[in-house]
Amino acid sequence: MKEEISKVLETAKNEIEKASSVHELQQLKSRYIGKKSVLNSFMQKISTIPKEERPTFGNILNETKNQISELLLNKEQRIKELEYETTLKTESLDLTMPGRKREKGSLHPITKVWWEIEDIFISMGFEVAEGPDIEDEFHNFDALNTPPDHPARDLSDTFYIDNDVLLRTQTSTVQVRVMQKHKPPIKIISPGSCYRNEHDASHSPMFHQVEALVVDEGVTFTDLRDVLNIFIKKMFGEKIESRFRPHFFPFTEPSAEIDIICVKCYGKGCNLCKGSGWLEMGGAGMVDPNVFDILGIDSKKYTGYAFGLGIDRIAMLKYKIPDMRMLFENDIRFLKQF
Amino acid sequence: MNVSYKWLKKYVDFDLSPEELQVKITFAGIEVEAIEKLGEELNQVKVAKIIDKKKHPGSDHLSICHVDDGDVVKQVICGAPNCAVGQKIAFTPVGSRLGEFKIKKVKLRGEESYGMICSEKELGISDKHEGIMVLPDDAPIGQNLGSYLNLDDTSFELEITPNRPDLLGVYGVARDISAILNLPLKTPEVIIKECDEKIENNLILQNDAPDLCPRYTARMIKGITIKESPAWLKQCLISIGLRPINNVVDITNFVMMEFGHPLHAFDYNKIDGKKIIVRRAEKDEKFPALDEETYQLNENDLVIADAEKPIALAGIIGGENSHITEETSDIVIEAANFLYSSIRKTAGKLKITTDSSYRFERNIADETADLVSRRACQLILELAGGTLLKGKLDSYPNPTGKRLVSLRPSRVKSLLTINISNEKIKEYLKLLGLSFKGEEKDNLTFEMPSFRKDLEREIDLIEEIMRLHGYNNVKTFLKPQNIMDKKIFSAHRMVKNILVSYGFSEVINWNFGDPADLDKFEISEDDERRNNARLKNPLGTSFSIMRSMLIPDLFKNTLFNINHGQKNIKIFEQAKVYTRKNEKLATEKLHLSALMTGFLNPVYWGDNQRQINFFDLKGVVEEILDNLGLKNYDFKKSGEPFYQPGLATDVIYKKQIVGSLGKVDPKVTIKYDLEQPIFVIDIKLDDIFHLHKMETPVFKVIPKFPFILRDLSFIISKQHNYDDIISTIKGVNPGNIKKVVLFDEFTDKNIKKEFRSLTFSLVFSSDTKTLTDDYINNILQNVIKKLDSKYSIEMR
Ligand SMILES: [Zn+2]
Repeated sequence: MKEEISKVLETAKNEIEKASSVHELQQLKSRYIGKKSVLNSFMQKISTIPKEERPTFGNILNETKNQISELLLNKEQRIKELEYETTLKTESLDLTMPGRKREKGSLHPITKVWWEIEDIFISMGFEVAEGPDIEDEFHNFDALNTPPDHPARDLSDTFYIDNDVLLRTQTSTVQVRVMQKHKPPIKIISPGSCYRNEHDASHSPMFHQVEALVVDEGVTFTDLRDVLNIFIKKMFGEKIESRFRPHFFPFTEPSAEIDIICVKCYGKGCNLCKGSGWLEMGGAGMVDPNVFDILGIDSKKYTGYAFGLGIDRIAMLKYKIPDMRMLFENDIRFLKQF
Repeated sequence: MNVSYKWLKKYVDFDLSPEELQVKITFAGIEVEAIEKLGEELNQVKVAKIIDKKKHPGSDHLSICHVDDGDVVKQVICGAPNCAVGQKIAFTPVGSRLGEFKIKKVKLRGEESYGMICSEKELGISDKHEGIMVLPDDAPIGQNLGSYLNLDDTSFELEITPNRPDLLGVYGVARDISAILNLPLKTPEVIIKECDEKIENNLILQNDAPDLCPRYTARMIKGITIKESPAWLKQCLISIGLRPINNVVDITNFVMMEFGHPLHAFDYNKIDGKKIIVRRAEKDEKFPALDEETYQLNENDLVIADAEKPIALAGIIGGENSHITEETSDIVIEAANFLYSSIRKTAGKLKITTDSSYRFERNIADETADLVSRRACQLILELAGGTLLKGKLDSYPNPTGKRLVSLRPSRVKSLLTINISNEKIKEYLKLLGLSFKGEEKDNLTFEMPSFRKDLEREIDLIEEIMRLHGYNNVKTFLKPQNIMDKKIFSAHRMVKNILVSYGFSEVINWNFGDPADLDKFEISEDDERRNNARLKNPLGTSFSIMRSMLIPDLFKNTLFNINHGQKNIKIFEQAKVYTRKNEKLATEKLHLSALMTGFLNPVYWGDNQRQINFFDLKGVVEEILDNLGLKNYDFKKSGEPFYQPGLATDVIYKKQIVGSLGKVDPKVTIKYDLEQPIFVIDIKLDDIFHLHKMETPVFKVIPKFPFILRDLSFIISKQHNYDDIISTIKGVNPGNIKKVVLFDEFTDKNIKKEFRSLTFSLVFSSDTKTLTDDYINNILQNVIKKLDSKYSIEMR
């Protein structure tokens, strides 16, 4: 019987050595040391040998079992190491091939600038207000100190829907609505679409504007200059200075036009600034007390300032877009650049 | 640190309930972490009288007593040798709870006991455990013990910030309370009587480490008697969580807790060489401490030593070799100050925290040392007798000078926007112990008290003024304008960003529209989109209305781009549409429209390109609605005239159509010279924001029990749609079927016409337990039964 056992060990050794996969080893394991294995069948024969030999026999059987299981374990480890080596050798890639990307979408450059403007002003404590595009004459003209016979009404070619109903020519209409509804302090910007009946290389019949209004006790011209200065520097860079030039707007007094140093030549003079070194950015001024009176705000107690800037123009300057028409052509090759 | 209501009241005569006092302390800038009612436990215990006592027949040391608590007479078994008939004792009846210990009716060797006669230790009053607590004869029977012993009190656990070591004593806290209540602070009167014998003849002080010990004082008292402390002293200590030990130890603890400056008492007769040496420890020097541990020290540690050995670890813990015992008669009172960083290092290294080290680590003042020394002597002479030797030993090489700080009243007013007079400023600061030194134009000068090392600059004084004035008494002016709706504002941006992340490019078209587009899109005459706002002076007929749809412009943009060589196009526009009928102005509503055509994905070597289909479109819509937080939206066949029949749905939310999506009818696209399939989305954003309140997500508990997945595959008639099937499956056990995901759909020649194969993945879980296989199999069988009875499915 001992010989038979050592013979089993011998064949097991050989077969384990020959095995080439973990799966094979599992089969060998159940064949040699599992419940229905050869060695177990010897165990059942233990009753056939003399009592005094039984312990020795048991020992031999156990030892053989241990030896086989150790052989199996060693072999399994060697196979796994080999598999690992193979993995390293076979799994190679051309790492220079392109990665899987999502297709890139894009925000319109006007939106990008629009959001940036909102964020800068929100960071300075402004809120964003909205109003209708289709307006009445009161909000677009009368409330802004431009009575019917006022020459300022000729300044803009207005689209009309009805006798009294029009497409707003500026977003100051929103300021009027806010002043009608809210008590000071007011600190808002109102970005939005505006319309004027003119269409050429530098004018679009629909364009985008942002207007600001601040009304409180003790609001000064300095506040106006400070806010605009900070805005312009945040938008165009530290180097860009601004200046105020006296001008006329019906709803502000004093009124000014805002110029900034040319973003292309930094003041030296170029084709963008037509040699002047300055670019016109928009209008500003202190709210005319008449406007407060029309809207029932105590003009003795409160002061305020307002200004308006062209969003499309800022986008064109910022992204160096040469032609306004490109903004509304919606060529994907254009849109994906931003 | 703990302070108690009654102890505080010794110094400030406030008329506040403990709860009101808590509010005042909090707004003085001292955070109250916890508040505890004291004596409640002891109020279960009654003053009672032993009316008879006999020996327990079954025991040598037990006796059977009867006690009268004024209400009833109870039998109690007592083991204490000192119990005697006629005594007033503390009786704890059955049902009371002392700490963790519940008093129950028990049988002791065959005799029943209905309660317990307690020792002081059992009552948590002191460490005395030999024998029961015997009360004075005049103690009224039946009174609650807590009230009788005057232990009814409220304790406040305070969090003292590191800049305010002066608050580490009850008196310091009282000072701030007096300041905030503007009530006088009653300082204990300290008068000591010395005898003629000089301390110098009995003890020598040698300070070898003035860098680590800026001040050391010692006083000596001879002939004291160590005994139990009087009730008032014990009450104070108990009220802040300290256990009374004996009169001298109790006094040093009391004075430390009163003024926040620790002291230590040595047994004079154990000081070798009658010499106190303040010195650095030697390398590896051993020190046996009071806590029965022996610490190994080095040159960085400071010790108080006598001629032979260390007798205290400076500022941290006393020595086992020199402490006060019952036999002590002559004592040395140490009151000193030590370098806070050195104390912190040593205490940290040796892992010892004591009430003393806690205070010294916080950089207390040198000056208070003499005060606490005299206060302790006063109380010892009063409560332990003896005679105080003349004078004191005092090593104080570098006394702290006067510290002056100036303050500009104008600065106070402008910084705090309060109107406050110079007189009021002086009053506030005086209450905190600062003394006014002089006034020039807009400049007040004060001398800082020694205990407020934190006050160094003008701004420190301004903070104190503000604290007493009350932070919440400063007016505020600004209010939010509430003009913009921040949630909607962000939602507009989010929607655009989602589309960009799906590869869409944003377009912006003029808001003018062409009425002919409405015809091309087969919009019926009675559709509201035909109620146009018409311009009286348009640029031309193709710009003669304000547009009521965005999609026609997207078509024109698509054609433009196809003509410029693009085939795969994804664009969107978010803009207002306008209608006008009877309204004075117009109705303006924000819409989102998007268009996709061509291949879904760009050319990529690892993937095949795939034509866009309806589900690509639907996924985008679902993504947007999910991100807006909409729940329970639905897709129903669309009635829009411009979609290919059967390939478009409306989006339904709260029974309203809030959008549509689908493949545009080729009949319509061809009118725009578009030959490839076009898919569009139109979402009425304003309508959604009108119906849907955007809510902030609220955390939900993450499920504790595991999820288990099972797949279900069957063949089913095409007349049943997914929506129906999935709600049937979920309906079988909505509690345990957490999720049902469509895994696969297919048809092939082995499946009957008009039938399809669907595979669902079911996620099972329970909120209360781990589901067993049997349990899940059972649910799965029910699902199959239900599907079969409803749809006659064939399992695969
Ligand atoms: Zn220039």
